Amino acid sequence: MSAVPSVAPDAISQLSAQELRRSVWRRWGLRSTVVIGWVVFVGVWYLFSSFLGQALLPPLHTVVNRAWELITEGGFGSNLISSVTRLVGGFLLALVAGTGVGLLIAYNDWWRNLLQGPLQLIISLPTISLAVMTLILFGISPLGPVLMTMLVAIPYITMNVAQGITGVDRKLIVMSEAFGRTRRQIVKDILVPSSILSTLGGARLAFAVAWRMELLAEVFASSQGIGFQIRRSFESYDTQAMLAWTVLFVAVMLLFENFVLRRIDRWAGRWRMQDWGANP
Amino acid sequence: MATVLIDNLTKIFPPTATHPSQVQALGGVNISVTGNVLVAILGPSGSGKTTLLNIVAGVEEPTSGTVRAVQDSVPAQISYVFQEPRLLPWRTVVDNMLYVQDRKSDRSRREAEFYLSMVGLSEVGDLYPSQLSAGMQQRVGIARAFLVNPDVLLMDEPFSHLDALTGRSLREYVQRIWLQTRKTALLVTHDVNEAVELADRIVLLRPGGVIYDDIPVDLPRPRFPDNPAVRDVQADVLRRFDSMGAAVQFGGARR
Ligand SMILES: Nc1ncnc2c1ncn2[C@@H]1O[C@H](COP(=O)(O)OP(=O)(O)O)[C@@H](O)[C@H]1O
Ligand SMILES: [Mg+2]
Repeated sequence: MSAVPSVAPDAISQLSAQELRRSVWRRWGLRSTVVIGWVVFVGVWYLFSSFLGQALLPPLHTVVNRAWELITEGGFGSNLISSVTRLVGGFLLALVAGTGVGLLIAYNDWWRNLLQGPLQLIISLPTISLAVMTLILFGISPLGPVLMTMLVAIPYITMNVAQGITGVDRKLIVMSEAFGRTRRQIVKDILVPSSILSTLGGARLAFAVAWRMELLAEVFASSQGIGFQIRRSFESYDTQAMLAWTVLFVAVMLLFENFVLRRIDRWAGRWRMQDWGANP
Repeated sequence: MATVLIDNLTKIFPPTATHPSQVQALGGVNISVTGNVLVAILGPSGSGKTTLLNIVAGVEEPTSGTVRAVQDSVPAQISYVFQEPRLLPWRTVVDNMLYVQDRKSDRSRREAEFYLSMVGLSEVGDLYPSQLSAGMQQRVGIARAFLVNPDVLLMDEPFSHLDALTGRSLREYVQRIWLQTRKTALLVTHDVNEAVELADRIVLLRPGGVIYDDIPVDLPRPRFPDNPAVRDVQADVLRRFDSMGAAVQFGGARR
Protein backbone atom coordinates (compact mmCIF):
# COMPACT_ATOMS: atom_id res chain seq x y z
CA MET A 1 0.00 0.00 0.00
CA SER A 2 1.24 3.43 -0.76
CA ALA A 3 1.20 5.93 2.05
CA VAL A 4 0.65 8.97 -0.09
CA PRO A 5 -3.09 9.72 -0.39
CA SER A 6 -4.00 12.45 2.03
CA VAL A 7 -7.20 13.32 0.17
CA ALA A 8 -9.83 10.63 0.32
CA PRO A 9 -10.49 9.09 -3.11
CA ASP A 10 -14.19 9.78 -2.55
CA ALA A 11 -13.54 13.47 -2.20
CA ILE A 12 -11.68 13.42 -5.50
CA SER A 13 -14.48 11.70 -7.37
CA GLN A 14 -17.02 13.99 -5.77
CA LEU A 15 -15.02 16.98 -6.85
CA SER A 16 -14.68 15.74 -10.39
CA ALA A 17 -18.38 14.88 -10.57
CA GLN A 18 -19.12 18.44 -9.59
CA GLU A 19 -16.70 19.76 -12.16
CA LEU A 20 -18.24 17.50 -14.77
CA ARG A 21 -21.75 18.76 -14.01
CA ARG A 22 -20.57 22.31 -14.19
CA SER A 23 -18.83 21.82 -17.53
CA VAL A 24 -21.90 20.03 -18.94
CA TRP A 25 -24.04 22.97 -17.90
CA ARG A 26 -21.61 25.36 -19.44
CA ARG A 27 -21.56 23.43 -22.71
CA TRP A 28 -25.36 23.29 -22.91
CA GLY A 29 -25.48 26.93 -21.92
CA LEU A 30 -23.29 27.81 -24.89
CA ARG A 31 -25.32 25.64 -27.24
CA SER A 32 -28.55 27.20 -26.15
CA THR A 33 -27.01 30.63 -26.83
CA VAL A 34 -26.49 29.56 -30.44
CA VAL A 35 -30.12 28.44 -30.65
CA ILE A 36 -31.30 31.72 -29.14
CA GLY A 37 -29.29 33.59 -31.77
CA TRP A 38 -31.07 31.76 -34.58
CA VAL A 39 -34.47 32.20 -32.97
CA VAL A 40 -33.88 35.94 -32.69
CA PHE A 41 -32.76 36.05 -36.32
CA VAL A 42 -35.90 34.27 -37.53
CA GLY A 43 -38.09 36.45 -35.30
CA VAL A 44 -36.55 39.65 -36.68
CA TRP A 45 -37.06 38.34 -40.22
CA TYR A 46 -40.79 37.79 -39.67
CA LEU A 47 -41.10 41.10 -37.87
CA PHE A 48 -39.58 43.03 -40.77
CA SER A 49 -41.48 41.02 -43.31
CA SER A 50 -44.79 41.98 -41.63
CA PHE A 51 -43.72 45.65 -41.61
CA LEU A 52 -42.40 45.76 -45.17
CA GLY A 53 -44.95 43.48 -46.73
CA GLN A 54 -44.58 40.15 -48.50
CA ALA A 55 -43.38 41.62 -51.77
CA LEU A 56 -40.39 43.37 -50.27
CA LEU A 57 -39.38 40.76 -47.69
CA PRO A 58 -41.21 37.44 -48.07
CA PRO A 59 -41.61 35.43 -44.85
CA LEU A 60 -38.88 32.90 -44.22
CA HIS A 61 -40.99 29.77 -44.82
CA THR A 62 -42.02 30.93 -48.30
CA VAL A 63 -38.34 31.46 -49.16
CA VAL A 64 -37.53 27.97 -47.89
CA ASN A 65 -40.41 26.52 -49.96
CA ARG A 66 -39.23 28.36 -53.01
CA ALA A 67 -35.67 27.13 -52.46
CA TRP A 68 -36.98 23.57 -52.31
CA GLU A 69 -38.84 24.13 -55.58
CA LEU A 70 -35.68 25.45 -57.18
CA ILE A 71 -33.81 22.36 -56.10
CA THR A 72 -36.45 19.90 -57.28
CA GLU A 73 -37.63 21.54 -60.52
CA GLY A 74 -36.15 25.01 -60.87
CA GLY A 75 -32.78 24.17 -62.35
CA PHE A 76 -30.72 24.75 -59.22
CA GLY A 77 -28.43 21.84 -60.07
CA SER A 78 -27.47 23.01 -63.55
CA ASN A 79 -26.98 26.62 -62.44
CA LEU A 80 -24.90 25.50 -59.47
CA ILE A 81 -22.70 23.42 -61.72
CA SER A 82 -22.16 26.29 -64.07
CA SER A 83 -21.30 28.68 -61.22
CA VAL A 84 -19.06 26.24 -59.42
CA THR A 85 -17.21 25.35 -62.60
CA ARG A 86 -16.28 28.98 -63.11
CA LEU A 87 -15.47 29.42 -59.44
CA VAL A 88 -13.20 26.39 -59.36
CA GLY A 89 -11.57 27.40 -62.62
CA GLY A 90 -10.80 30.90 -61.39
CA PHE A 91 -9.71 29.65 -58.01
CA LEU A 92 -7.33 27.02 -59.39
CA LEU A 93 -5.80 29.55 -61.76
CA ALA A 94 -5.35 31.87 -58.79
CA LEU A 95 -3.76 29.07 -56.78
CA VAL A 96 -1.14 28.45 -59.44
CA ALA A 97 -0.48 32.10 -60.28
CA GLY A 98 -0.64 33.21 -56.64
CA THR A 99 1.85 30.57 -55.54
CA GLY A 100 4.21 31.55 -58.33
CA VAL A 101 4.00 35.24 -57.53
CA GLY A 102 4.29 34.46 -53.81
CA LEU A 103 7.57 32.61 -54.37
CA LEU A 104 8.82 35.45 -56.55
CA ILE A 105 8.03 37.98 -53.86
CA ALA A 106 9.53 35.87 -51.09
CA TYR A 107 12.87 35.52 -52.84
CA ASN A 108 13.23 38.80 -54.67
CA ASP A 109 13.05 42.25 -53.11
CA TRP A 110 12.70 43.96 -56.48
CA TRP A 111 9.56 42.02 -57.34
CA ARG A 112 8.21 42.50 -53.85
CA ASN A 113 8.54 46.26 -54.09
CA LEU A 114 7.02 46.20 -57.54
CA LEU A 115 4.02 44.00 -56.75
CA GLN A 116 3.13 44.84 -53.16
CA GLY A 117 1.29 48.02 -54.13
CA PRO A 118 -0.85 46.51 -56.89
CA LEU A 119 -1.73 43.53 -54.69
CA GLN A 120 -2.85 45.83 -51.88
CA LEU A 121 -4.87 47.78 -54.43
CA ILE A 122 -6.68 44.66 -55.65
CA ILE A 123 -7.49 43.69 -52.08
CA SER A 124 -9.03 47.07 -51.35
CA LEU A 125 -11.01 47.40 -54.60
CA PRO A 126 -14.75 47.02 -53.98
CA THR A 127 -15.99 43.81 -55.59
CA ILE A 128 -18.95 45.69 -57.03
CA SER A 129 -16.65 47.88 -59.14
CA LEU A 130 -14.84 44.80 -60.34
CA ALA A 131 -18.15 43.19 -61.26
CA VAL A 132 -19.11 46.21 -63.36
CA MET A 133 -15.64 46.20 -64.92
CA THR A 134 -16.19 42.56 -65.85
CA LEU A 135 -19.20 43.56 -67.91
CA ILE A 136 -17.38 46.47 -69.53
CA LEU A 137 -14.27 44.48 -70.40
CA PHE A 138 -15.65 41.08 -71.29
CA GLY A 139 -19.33 41.63 -71.94
CA ILE A 140 -21.65 38.77 -71.19
CA SER A 141 -19.31 35.78 -71.30
CA PRO A 142 -18.11 32.95 -69.08
CA LEU A 143 -14.54 34.24 -69.31
CA GLY A 144 -15.10 37.46 -67.35
CA PRO A 145 -16.28 35.90 -64.07
CA VAL A 146 -13.44 33.34 -64.21
CA LEU A 147 -10.76 35.98 -64.67
CA MET A 148 -12.21 38.31 -62.05
CA THR A 149 -12.46 35.46 -59.57
CA MET A 150 -8.84 34.67 -60.24
CA LEU A 151 -7.84 38.31 -59.87
CA VAL A 152 -9.39 38.83 -56.44
CA ALA A 153 -8.12 35.50 -55.12
CA ILE A 154 -4.49 35.95 -56.20
CA PRO A 155 -3.41 38.55 -53.60
CA TYR A 156 -4.54 36.43 -50.66
CA ILE A 157 -2.71 33.38 -51.91
CA THR A 158 0.37 35.38 -52.89
CA MET A 159 0.67 37.19 -49.56
CA ASN A 160 0.29 34.03 -47.53
CA VAL A 161 2.64 31.94 -49.62
CA ALA A 162 5.23 34.71 -49.39
CA GLN A 163 4.67 35.03 -45.67
CA GLY A 164 5.03 31.28 -45.22
CA ILE A 165 8.26 31.18 -47.19
CA THR A 166 9.85 34.20 -45.54
CA GLY A 167 8.83 32.79 -42.16
CA VAL A 168 10.96 29.70 -42.76
CA ASP A 169 13.72 29.39 -40.17
CA ARG A 170 16.88 30.15 -42.19
CA LYS A 171 18.92 28.33 -39.58
CA LEU A 172 17.20 25.06 -40.43
CA ILE A 173 18.23 25.53 -44.05
CA VAL A 174 21.84 26.21 -43.03
CA MET A 175 21.70 23.10 -40.85
CA SER A 176 20.47 21.06 -43.82
CA GLU A 177 23.23 22.40 -46.04
CA ALA A 178 25.88 21.70 -43.42
CA PHE A 179 24.74 18.08 -43.35
CA GLY A 180 24.79 17.91 -47.14
CA ARG A 181 21.05 17.69 -47.73
CA THR A 182 19.93 18.14 -51.33
CA ARG A 183 17.81 21.02 -52.57
CA ARG A 184 14.91 18.63 -53.05
CA GLN A 185 15.12 17.46 -49.45
CA ILE A 186 15.23 21.04 -48.21
CA VAL A 187 12.11 21.93 -50.19
CA LYS A 188 10.22 18.84 -49.10
CA ASP A 189 11.30 18.72 -45.47
CA ILE A 190 11.75 22.40 -44.57
CA LEU A 191 10.06 24.79 -47.00
CA VAL A 192 6.81 22.91 -47.57
CA PRO A 193 6.12 21.95 -43.95
CA SER A 194 6.92 25.44 -42.68
CA SER A 195 4.74 27.22 -45.18
CA ILE A 196 1.86 24.81 -45.72
CA LEU A 197 -0.39 26.05 -42.94
CA SER A 198 0.00 29.68 -43.90
CA THR A 199 -0.57 28.79 -47.55
CA LEU A 200 -3.75 26.89 -46.76
CA GLY A 201 -4.94 29.77 -44.57
CA GLY A 202 -4.42 32.06 -47.55
CA ALA A 203 -6.27 29.65 -49.81
CA ARG A 204 -9.26 29.65 -47.46
CA LEU A 205 -9.40 33.44 -47.38
CA ALA A 206 -8.98 33.51 -51.14
CA PHE A 207 -11.83 31.04 -51.58
CA ALA A 208 -14.15 33.10 -49.40
CA VAL A 209 -13.44 36.18 -51.51
CA ALA A 210 -13.53 34.20 -54.76
CA TRP A 211 -17.06 32.84 -54.48
CA ARG A 212 -18.47 36.21 -53.52
CA MET A 213 -16.74 37.78 -56.52
CA GLU A 214 -17.87 35.01 -58.83
CA LEU A 215 -21.48 35.43 -57.76
CA LEU A 216 -21.39 39.18 -58.22
CA ALA A 217 -19.67 38.96 -61.59
CA GLU A 218 -22.43 36.62 -62.74
CA VAL A 219 -25.06 39.11 -61.62
CA PHE A 220 -23.62 41.66 -64.03
CA ALA A 221 -21.95 39.75 -66.80
CA SER A 222 -23.34 36.30 -67.30
CA SER A 223 -26.19 34.52 -69.00
CA GLN A 224 -26.14 31.50 -66.75
CA GLY A 225 -25.29 30.50 -63.20
CA ILE A 226 -26.70 31.45 -59.86
CA GLY A 227 -25.67 35.10 -60.04
CA PHE A 228 -27.52 35.40 -63.34
CA GLN A 229 -30.63 33.81 -61.79
CA ILE A 230 -30.43 36.31 -58.95
CA ARG A 231 -30.39 39.16 -61.44
CA ARG A 232 -33.29 37.68 -63.41
CA SER A 233 -35.37 37.34 -60.25
CA PHE A 234 -34.51 40.92 -59.35
CA GLU A 235 -35.52 42.19 -62.77
CA SER A 236 -38.90 40.51 -62.47
CA TYR A 237 -39.37 41.86 -58.94
CA ASP A 238 -39.38 38.30 -57.57
CA THR A 239 -37.75 38.90 -54.19
CA GLN A 240 -38.71 35.44 -53.04
CA ALA A 241 -36.72 33.74 -55.81
CA MET A 242 -33.84 36.17 -55.38
CA LEU A 243 -33.55 35.28 -51.71
CA ALA A 244 -34.00 31.60 -52.40
CA TRP A 245 -31.17 31.51 -54.96
CA THR A 246 -28.92 33.49 -52.63
CA VAL A 247 -29.63 31.40 -49.56
CA LEU A 248 -29.04 28.16 -51.45
CA PHE A 249 -25.73 29.26 -52.91
CA VAL A 250 -24.46 30.71 -49.66
CA ALA A 251 -25.46 27.54 -47.85
CA VAL A 252 -23.52 25.37 -50.30
CA MET A 253 -20.45 27.57 -50.02
CA LEU A 254 -20.54 27.70 -46.23
CA LEU A 255 -20.96 23.95 -46.02
CA PHE A 256 -17.98 23.55 -48.31
CA GLU A 257 -15.86 25.98 -46.29
CA ASN A 258 -16.77 24.46 -42.98
CA PHE A 259 -16.52 20.82 -43.86
CA VAL A 260 -14.20 20.31 -46.79
CA LEU A 261 -11.75 23.17 -46.32
CA ARG A 262 -11.51 22.79 -42.58
CA ARG A 263 -10.90 19.10 -43.01
CA ILE A 264 -8.08 19.81 -45.45
CA ASP A 265 -6.52 22.14 -42.87
CA ARG A 266 -6.69 19.51 -40.19
CA TRP A 267 -5.31 16.90 -42.53
CA ALA A 268 -2.38 19.19 -43.40
CA GLY A 269 -1.69 19.79 -39.72
CA ARG A 270 -1.48 16.07 -39.14
CA TRP A 271 0.52 15.43 -42.29
CA ARG A 272 3.08 17.99 -41.17
CA MET A 273 3.61 16.17 -37.91
CA GLN A 274 3.88 12.73 -39.43
CA ASP A 275 7.14 10.86 -39.61
CA TRP A 276 8.07 10.74 -43.25
CA GLY A 277 11.73 10.29 -42.55
CA ALA A 278 11.73 6.86 -41.01
CA ASN A 279 10.59 4.92 -44.07
CA PRO A 280 12.03 6.29 -47.30
CA MET B 1 42.82 10.02 -40.90
CA ALA B 2 41.11 13.35 -41.25
CA THR B 3 42.89 16.60 -41.92
CA VAL B 4 41.57 20.14 -41.85
CA LEU B 5 43.77 22.74 -43.52
CA ILE B 6 42.72 26.33 -43.10
CA ASP B 7 44.93 28.50 -45.24
CA ASN B 8 45.07 32.29 -44.97
CA LEU B 9 41.32 32.56 -44.60
CA THR B 10 39.70 35.98 -44.69
CA LYS B 11 36.08 36.97 -44.59
CA ILE B 12 34.82 40.50 -45.03
CA PHE B 13 31.09 41.10 -44.75
CA PRO B 14 29.87 43.92 -46.98
CA PRO B 15 28.01 46.82 -45.37
CA THR B 16 24.38 46.14 -44.51
CA ALA B 17 21.42 48.29 -43.55
CA THR B 18 22.07 47.71 -39.85
CA HIS B 19 25.85 47.85 -40.26
CA PRO B 20 26.87 50.72 -42.54
CA SER B 21 30.55 49.80 -42.67
CA GLN B 22 32.04 46.51 -43.80
CA VAL B 23 33.07 44.01 -41.14
CA GLN B 24 36.25 41.99 -41.14
CA ALA B 25 35.20 38.73 -39.52
CA LEU B 26 38.36 36.80 -40.35
CA GLY B 27 41.73 38.36 -41.08
CA GLY B 28 43.98 35.67 -42.47
CA VAL B 29 43.54 32.57 -40.35
CA ASN B 30 45.90 29.60 -40.66
CA ILE B 31 45.12 26.42 -38.75
CA SER B 32 46.17 22.91 -39.58
CA VAL B 33 44.63 20.01 -37.73
CA THR B 34 45.47 16.38 -38.34
CA GLY B 35 44.35 13.21 -36.68
CA ASN B 36 42.16 12.42 -33.76
CA VAL B 37 42.44 15.67 -31.92
CA LEU B 38 40.01 18.14 -30.53
CA VAL B 39 41.01 21.72 -31.17
CA ALA B 40 39.29 24.55 -29.35
CA ILE B 41 38.96 27.93 -31.01
CA LEU B 42 38.68 30.38 -28.17
CA GLY B 43 37.76 33.98 -28.64
CA PRO B 44 35.50 36.73 -27.39
CA SER B 45 32.13 37.20 -28.98
CA GLY B 46 32.37 38.72 -32.44
CA SER B 47 35.86 37.41 -33.14
CA GLY B 48 34.70 35.42 -36.17
CA LYS B 49 34.43 31.98 -34.60
CA THR B 50 31.05 31.08 -36.09
CA THR B 51 32.08 32.49 -39.45
CA LEU B 52 35.15 30.27 -39.38
CA LEU B 53 33.14 27.12 -38.69
CA ASN B 54 30.54 28.04 -41.31
CA ILE B 55 33.25 28.32 -43.93
CA VAL B 56 34.75 24.99 -42.89
CA ALA B 57 31.25 23.46 -43.10
CA GLY B 58 30.81 24.93 -46.57
CA VAL B 59 27.73 26.98 -45.77
CA GLU B 60 29.56 30.30 -46.13
CA GLU B 61 31.99 31.46 -48.82
CA PRO B 62 35.34 32.95 -47.76
CA THR B 63 36.47 36.29 -49.18
CA SER B 64 39.87 34.76 -49.78
CA GLY B 65 41.91 31.80 -48.67
CA THR B 66 41.03 28.13 -48.72
CA VAL B 67 39.76 25.36 -46.50
CA ARG B 68 40.42 21.72 -47.18
CA ALA B 69 38.84 18.99 -45.08
CA VAL B 70 39.88 15.55 -46.28
CA GLN B 71 39.74 12.01 -45.07
CA ASP B 72 42.25 9.70 -46.75
CA SER B 73 42.47 12.23 -49.59
CA VAL B 74 38.69 12.32 -50.28
CA PRO B 75 36.45 15.12 -49.03
CA ALA B 76 35.66 14.57 -45.38
CA GLN B 77 32.16 13.95 -44.11
CA ILE B 78 31.41 16.89 -41.83
CA SER B 79 28.86 17.26 -39.11
CA TYR B 80 27.92 20.31 -37.12
CA VAL B 81 26.59 20.98 -33.63
CA PHE B 82 25.11 24.45 -33.61
CA GLN B 83 24.73 27.01 -30.88
CA GLU B 84 21.02 26.16 -30.83
CA PRO B 85 19.52 22.69 -31.35
CA ARG B 86 18.16 23.43 -34.86
CA LEU B 87 15.67 20.58 -34.91
CA LEU B 88 12.71 20.35 -37.28
CA PRO B 89 9.64 21.00 -35.12
CA TRP B 90 7.47 18.71 -37.25
CA ARG B 91 9.65 15.66 -36.88
CA THR B 92 10.16 13.41 -33.90
CA VAL B 93 13.56 13.21 -32.24
CA VAL B 94 14.58 10.03 -34.07
CA ASP B 95 13.28 11.31 -37.40
CA ASN B 96 15.21 14.53 -36.87
CA MET B 97 18.34 12.46 -36.55
CA LEU B 98 17.55 10.29 -39.55
CA TYR B 99 16.95 13.42 -41.63
CA VAL B 100 20.69 14.09 -41.81
CA GLN B 101 21.61 10.51 -42.66
CA ASP B 102 22.19 9.43 -46.25
CA ARG B 103 21.94 5.68 -46.20
CA LYS B 104 19.00 4.67 -44.11
CA SER B 105 18.91 1.01 -43.19
CA ASP B 106 17.04 -1.16 -40.75
CA ARG B 107 19.82 -0.41 -38.32
CA SER B 108 19.49 3.39 -38.61
CA ARG B 109 16.79 3.68 -36.02
CA ARG B 110 18.66 1.60 -33.51
CA GLU B 111 21.83 3.58 -34.16
CA ALA B 112 19.95 6.81 -33.57
CA GLU B 113 18.67 5.44 -30.30
CA PHE B 114 22.15 4.31 -29.36
CA TYR B 115 23.56 7.82 -29.79
CA LEU B 116 20.62 9.23 -27.87
CA SER B 117 21.47 6.96 -24.98
CA MET B 118 25.09 8.13 -25.23
CA VAL B 119 23.91 11.63 -24.37
CA GLY B 120 21.71 10.32 -21.59
CA LEU B 121 18.44 10.39 -23.51
CA SER B 122 16.44 7.25 -23.86
CA GLU B 123 12.73 6.85 -24.37
CA VAL B 124 12.43 10.23 -26.08
CA GLY B 125 12.89 9.04 -29.64
CA ASP B 126 9.21 9.37 -30.50
CA LEU B 127 8.69 12.76 -28.88
CA TYR B 128 8.66 16.05 -30.74
CA PRO B 129 11.31 18.69 -29.97
CA SER B 130 8.74 20.97 -28.33
CA GLN B 131 8.19 18.27 -25.73
CA LEU B 132 11.83 18.44 -24.61
CA SER B 133 13.70 20.96 -22.49
CA ALA B 134 16.34 23.18 -24.08
CA GLY B 135 19.10 21.01 -22.65
CA MET B 136 17.53 17.83 -23.99
CA GLN B 137 17.09 19.39 -27.42
CA GLN B 138 20.73 20.38 -27.48
CA ARG B 139 21.67 16.81 -26.59
CA VAL B 140 19.63 15.60 -29.55
CA GLY B 141 21.67 18.00 -31.68
CA ILE B 142 24.86 16.39 -30.37
CA ALA B 143 23.56 12.86 -30.91
CA ARG B 144 22.54 13.82 -34.45
CA ALA B 145 26.07 15.05 -35.18
CA PHE B 146 27.60 11.75 -34.08
CA LEU B 147 25.02 9.60 -35.87
CA VAL B 148 26.39 10.41 -39.32
CA ASN B 149 29.77 9.08 -38.18
CA PRO B 150 31.58 12.19 -39.38
CA ASP B 151 35.24 12.48 -40.24
CA VAL B 152 35.26 16.03 -38.93
CA LEU B 153 33.05 17.30 -36.14
CA LEU B 154 32.32 20.99 -35.79
CA MET B 155 30.81 22.40 -32.59
CA ASP B 156 29.80 26.03 -32.21
CA GLU B 157 29.45 26.98 -28.54
CA PRO B 158 27.19 23.98 -27.96
CA PHE B 159 26.79 24.72 -24.25
CA SER B 160 26.50 28.49 -24.24
CA HIS B 161 22.69 28.68 -24.33
CA LEU B 162 22.25 26.36 -21.36
CA ASP B 163 22.28 27.04 -17.67
CA ALA B 164 25.58 26.35 -15.90
CA LEU B 165 24.60 22.97 -14.44
CA THR B 166 23.12 21.59 -17.65
CA GLY B 167 26.10 22.91 -19.60
CA ARG B 168 28.50 21.20 -17.28
CA SER B 169 26.81 17.82 -17.49
CA LEU B 170 26.57 18.12 -21.26
CA ARG B 171 30.30 18.80 -21.39
CA GLU B 172 30.89 15.52 -19.61
CA TYR B 173 28.73 13.70 -22.14
CA VAL B 174 30.62 15.25 -25.03
CA GLN B 175 33.96 14.39 -23.47
CA ARG B 176 32.83 10.80 -23.00
CA ILE B 177 31.55 10.32 -26.55
CA TRP B 178 34.56 12.04 -27.97
CA LEU B 179 36.86 9.69 -26.03
CA GLN B 180 35.00 6.73 -27.52
CA THR B 181 34.90 8.00 -31.08
CA ARG B 182 37.95 10.29 -31.28
CA LYS B 183 36.72 12.38 -34.16
CA THR B 184 38.81 15.18 -35.54
CA ALA B 185 36.97 18.07 -33.96
CA LEU B 186 36.86 21.84 -33.91
CA LEU B 187 35.15 23.28 -30.86
CA VAL B 188 34.32 26.97 -30.86
CA THR B 189 33.89 28.57 -27.47
CA HIS B 190 34.32 31.75 -25.48
CA ASP B 191 34.68 29.82 -22.24
CA VAL B 192 38.26 29.24 -21.11
CA ASN B 193 37.35 26.43 -18.70
CA GLU B 194 35.41 24.59 -21.34
CA ALA B 195 38.31 24.83 -23.79
CA VAL B 196 40.82 23.45 -21.30
CA GLU B 197 38.49 20.69 -20.22
CA LEU B 198 37.92 19.37 -23.71
CA ALA B 199 40.73 20.36 -26.06
CA ASP B 200 44.16 19.07 -27.04
CA ARG B 201 45.03 22.48 -28.36
CA ILE B 202 43.60 25.94 -27.97
CA VAL B 203 43.72 28.54 -30.72
CA LEU B 204 43.14 32.04 -29.36
CA LEU B 205 41.25 34.29 -31.75
CA ARG B 206 41.00 38.01 -31.24
CA PRO B 207 38.45 40.45 -32.70
CA GLY B 208 38.93 40.88 -36.40
CA GLY B 209 39.48 37.14 -36.68
CA VAL B 210 43.25 37.06 -36.19
CA ILE B 211 45.03 34.27 -34.34
CA TYR B 212 46.67 35.58 -31.20
CA ASP B 213 48.08 32.42 -29.68
CA ASP B 214 48.15 28.67 -30.15
CA ILE B 215 48.42 26.69 -26.92
CA PRO B 216 48.88 22.94 -26.64
CA VAL B 217 46.99 21.34 -23.75
CA ASP B 218 48.74 18.26 -22.52
CA LEU B 219 46.48 16.85 -19.83
CA PRO B 220 45.32 13.28 -19.30
CA ARG B 221 41.68 12.41 -19.97
CA PRO B 222 39.04 12.22 -18.73
CA ARG B 223 39.47 15.70 -17.29
CA PHE B 224 37.42 17.05 -14.45
CA PRO B 225 36.85 20.72 -13.76
CA ASP B 226 38.06 20.49 -10.17
CA ASN B 227 41.29 18.65 -10.96
CA PRO B 228 44.29 20.80 -9.83
CA ALA B 229 46.26 20.25 -13.04
CA VAL B 230 43.25 21.28 -15.10
CA ARG B 231 42.84 24.35 -12.94
CA ASP B 232 46.49 25.35 -13.41
CA VAL B 233 46.18 25.21 -17.18
CA GLN B 234 42.89 27.09 -17.01
CA ALA B 235 44.56 29.84 -15.02
CA ASP B 236 47.39 30.03 -17.53
CA VAL B 237 45.06 30.20 -20.54
CA LEU B 238 42.90 32.76 -18.79
CA ARG B 239 45.98 34.95 -18.29
CA ARG B 240 46.78 34.80 -21.99
CA PHE B 241 43.15 35.43 -22.86
CA ASP B 242 43.19 38.53 -20.66
CA SER B 243 46.49 39.75 -22.06
CA MET B 244 44.94 39.48 -25.52
CA GLY B 245 42.23 41.88 -24.39
CA ALA B 246 44.91 44.30 -23.17
CA ALA B 247 46.85 43.94 -26.40
CA VAL B 248 43.78 44.82 -28.41
CA GLN B 249 42.94 47.72 -26.15
CA PHE B 250 46.38 49.31 -26.19
CA GLY B 251 46.93 48.90 -29.87
CA GLY B 252 49.44 46.12 -29.44
CA ALA B 253 47.61 44.16 -32.08
CA ARG B 254 47.68 44.85 -35.78
CA ARG B 255 44.58 46.43 -37.22
N1 LIG C 1 25.89 37.53 -42.18
C1 LIG C 1 26.61 38.54 -41.67
N2 LIG C 1 26.52 39.77 -42.21
C2 LIG C 1 27.26 40.81 -41.72
N3 LIG C 1 28.09 40.70 -40.69
C3 LIG C 1 28.22 39.50 -40.09
C4 LIG C 1 27.48 38.36 -40.54
N4 LIG C 1 27.78 37.30 -39.76
C5 LIG C 1 28.68 37.75 -38.85
N5 LIG C 1 28.96 39.07 -39.05
C6 LIG C 1 29.89 39.89 -38.28
O1 LIG C 1 31.15 39.25 -38.29
C7 LIG C 1 31.77 39.31 -37.02
C8 LIG C 1 32.06 37.91 -36.53
O2 LIG C 1 30.85 37.24 -36.29
P1 LIG C 1 30.79 35.74 -35.75
O3 LIG C 1 31.59 34.88 -36.65
O4 LIG C 1 29.39 35.40 -35.55
O5 LIG C 1 31.54 35.90 -34.35
P2 LIG C 1 31.52 34.92 -33.08
O6 LIG C 1 30.91 33.63 -33.49
O7 LIG C 1 32.96 34.82 -32.68
O8 LIG C 1 30.74 35.62 -32.03
C9 LIG C 1 30.81 40.06 -36.12
O9 LIG C 1 31.24 41.41 -36.05
C10 LIG C 1 29.50 39.98 -36.83
O10 LIG C 1 28.73 41.13 -36.59
MG1 LIG D 1 29.20 32.68 -32.68
